[in-house]
Amino acid sequence: MKIIATFLISIVLLWRVPVYSQRIESDQYLKAFEKRAQRIIALSDSLTPSIYGWAARLYGVGGNYRQADSIIKELLKTPGGDMFWMFGIVSASLHGKGKMSPETEQAVRRAWKTYPPYRGDTENHWCLYYSTLLLASQEWPGLPGSEWFNGKSSEENYNEAREYLIHWMKITTTIGQGEFDSPDYFPVFISPMILLAQFARESEMRTRGSMMADYLFADFAVDHLDGQYTGGSSRVAHTPPYEPLAANAAPLAYLYFGEGEPRVSDFTLVAALSSYRLPEIIFRIATDRSMPYVQKEKKRVRNVIRYGSEMNPPVYRYTYMTSDYALGSLQGGILQPIQQHTWGVNFKSGRPFTTIFGLHPNWSGRELGMFFPEEVKCLIANVVQSKSTYNNPDKWIGGSPFERTFQHKNSLIVLYDIPQGTTTDHIDGFFPNTLEKRLVDSSRWILCKAGDAYIGWYPLQEYEWKTENDCFRLRSHKLQNGYVIEVRSKSEIGSFKNFSDSLNKHIPQAVLQPGNISVRYVNLDGNSMEFTYPENRELDGKYVDLSQYKLFEGPYLNADVGSEKLTITYKNETRILDFKSLTITDR
Amino acid sequence: MKRFCTILLSLVVAILPQFNTDIFSQESTVYATVHSRKAFVVGGNNAPTGLFYQKRSDDTVWKHTGPSNIHAFAIAAAPESKGQLLFMGAGNGVHRTMDGGNSWKITTGWEITEVLCLAIDPSDRKRVLCTSPYGIYQTKDGGDQWKDCSRGLTTKFVSAVIIDHSNPKLLYCSTEDGIFSSDDNAETWERTALTVKGIRCIAQHPTNPGMIAAGTEDDGIYLSQDNGENWRKCEDGIENATFYTVIFDVKDPLIMYAGGFETGVYKSKDGGKTWQRSQQGLASLTIRSIAVDPANTNRIYAGTFGQGVYRSEDGGYTWKYAGLAGSLVWSINIEPFEP
Repeated sequence: MKIIATFLISIVLLWRVPVYSQRIESDQYLKAFEKRAQRIIALSDSLTPSIYGWAARLYGVGGNYRQADSIIKELLKTPGGDMFWMFGIVSASLHGKGKMSPETEQAVRRAWKTYPPYRGDTENHWCLYYSTLLLASQEWPGLPGSEWFNGKSSEENYNEAREYLIHWMKITTTIGQGEFDSPDYFPVFISPMILLAQFARESEMRTRGSMMADYLFADFAVDHLDGQYTGGSSRVAHTPPYEPLAANAAPLAYLYFGEGEPRVSDFTLVAALSSYRLPEIIFRIATDRSMPYVQKEKKRVRNVIRYGSEMNPPVYRYTYMTSDYALGSLQGGILQPIQQHTWGVNFKSGRPFTTIFGLHPNWSGRELGMFFPEEVKCLIANVVQSKSTYNNPDKWIGGSPFERTFQHKNSLIVLYDIPQGTTTDHIDGFFPNTLEKRLVDSSRWILCKAGDAYIGWYPLQEYEWKTENDCFRLRSHKLQNGYVIEVRSKSEIGSFKNFSDSLNKHIPQAVLQPGNISVRYVNLDGNSMEFTYPENRELDGKYVDLSQYKLFEGPYLNADVGSEKLTITYKNETRILDFKSLTITDR
Repeated sequence: MKRFCTILLSLVVAILPQFNTDIFSQESTVYATVHSRKAFVVGGNNAPTGLFYQKRSDDTVWKHTGPSNIHAFAIAAAPESKGQLLFMGAGNGVHRTMDGGNSWKITTGWEITEVLCLAIDPSDRKRVLCTSPYGIYQTKDGGDQWKDCSRGLTTKFVSAVIIDHSNPKLLYCSTEDGIFSSDDNAETWERTALTVKGIRCIAQHPTNPGMIAAGTEDDGIYLSQDNGENWRKCEDGIENATFYTVIFDVKDPLIMYAGGFETGVYKSKDGGKTWQRSQQGLASLTIRSIAVDPANTNRIYAGTFGQGVYRSEDGGYTWKYAGLAGSLVWSINIEPFEP
């Protein structure tokens, strides 16, 4: 009996005992990471960029310290860049600790006293600002407010930064990230987290940094395909949405997932130098595409300060991932200002421009006024000073209040009900000129081939083609409008001809009148999708209730709303990130 | 000789009225908050913005003080502190200087951001209120501690607040959901009769505290004569809908000025009954802020959207460029002391 009891206890213990922050990764996995990190560092050496990240590299890994000193002193002659400056100088200082010349240290200290960075007005700005303020204030404890740019003492700065970061982590793990799934801003969230993971002196903040980096990387991993951050996004900012491999997340996909190409920036250099190691389970999830899967996520809208009763309405995000393509969408409507990417299909083609997507290129002062406190009627003029395409009817980015989607696996319906007098009276579709095939079938289906991915686009209204530098632009001027997207791969349906022949028999039935827009479509798998604009979605006769979405729901990631807990699963391994207890549990 | 003296005296007497009488009065300081300049990008290499000031006698020269590139909105100077105690509302929160701008401190934490308006209690400079898109906050200790005072508001977006100069317990604030008042030191708020959406600004008559003016996003200017119980829309002479600033002339409260989106500057000489529009000399007709020089009420300053500051020397009929090129000047404040 005693033996049985001991055995049972042992089993329970083995099953349940948490492993606090232990990382058990295989040698092979870690060595491969080191190799890629070295490649990024070597690439920076060949470029010798005059950036703080390169100074961090010179201090961090057997470099020329005096050269690093002179880079920093030169850059500090005209400090600028607000929270991005804070990230750069903190990274360089922390890697340069004990290696900087006293003169350089004094210059750094002086800059923290005299250069006042703006905290910014987005989530990524604040994340950078407060992470780096926490690290800077811990490095100079006990200083009075007169020694800091904001007049606050070291302790005041530390406490404020800590409080905000904990708040941000809590809302992210309870109601979702606001600036979510951004191929460009992903590194801006990751980088300060891995700095915290390595350099925060307080163990709680180190643990939080590491766990939050895991959390964000896991979020990326399930949407990752061949170096691309796929699916709907809050913000596609620095590169056009049709160049997913040029986005800022791509070099981090190279470093952490081993796919894509290396690139040098402050963010990639700091990541390459970091002691943070991505858990191998997340790496496996990011790179195993042997089985297709559906990933559902709930995120939140950026703070709505006008024209809404709820500050952070939910965002429902749906992605269907395969080894050859990913089709992803947000539910539509205005979920973020200016740079929303509502839906897209990404594929592996080995050629530039690995995506097809569509949009209503809308803009309005009202949209901006939802999120920005300045005068509504002046906001468009204000925004286009720095984001010149915002009010361009040919733009490829931005959400629309008159757009809604309904996705089921690899089938997507997008509908529009655009009122008369709206800033743009057309919808556009992006078809890269690098597609292997782009045919218009007699059934009206537009049939495309990219690598082993086949994409079908059924326009519900008449349209025209415009030939442009990078693409063929589908443009339709009908205000009550929409299309149906079907995507399959060679492994799913066989030949392109099979795909084409199959779609011939699947013609959407649509009603397109102002205020009365609906589509009925039976997809290639025989599922009936009925979508009545704006919010009535039915699958095989059953109402699809988006409000039931969890924070994460899929084969790899699961989290309940409000839980502060993410369960990461791969095959028979499970890792739980629990932000309430600040524990990592492996099973 | 006698004849010569008589001629000289006559000349002096004749010439004196031609001089602006304020040359004998005390110098003033004009403050302007520059929210942004052309092509402002967060994290970019931007031209200096934030708080600028000049002597009233200066032409287009402004000096910068305090932090730059912080999305500055509001400025408030403590009465009789001669510019030593200033509060600035900005993206980073409420900044305070207690030494005339030599050193600044952000007095608020992470919860308070995008501070749009500030009001200092004229009877107690330690009591300050600030507004933001996230509510209204109050400090009673000069900024060391701030408390959310939004109870009763039906929206958090508060564009402006004023403290009744005759009764500091009484306050008014303009919100996205109408005008609210509080008679208990901002502990609780109640909606006044003005329920028009998108109130952009609010002002109180300098001698008749019951008279309140409000500018709206889409519905022009409203006036109340009875502490907000009844409101009348200003119609006569008003051709625009969007007003970001409405003010009273402190010396002659029958005179009012207003400006907003593509309005130029409106002037009323009869307490808001009729209005005249002026735009002569203005490079931008979108006006975010207006201030009357208390020492010479013919001298008016207008802060424009993107074209800096303009000044009128004839009571707002004609305007001349007065500096801060390319700036969105969110607020202007004139204080009766030398910098």
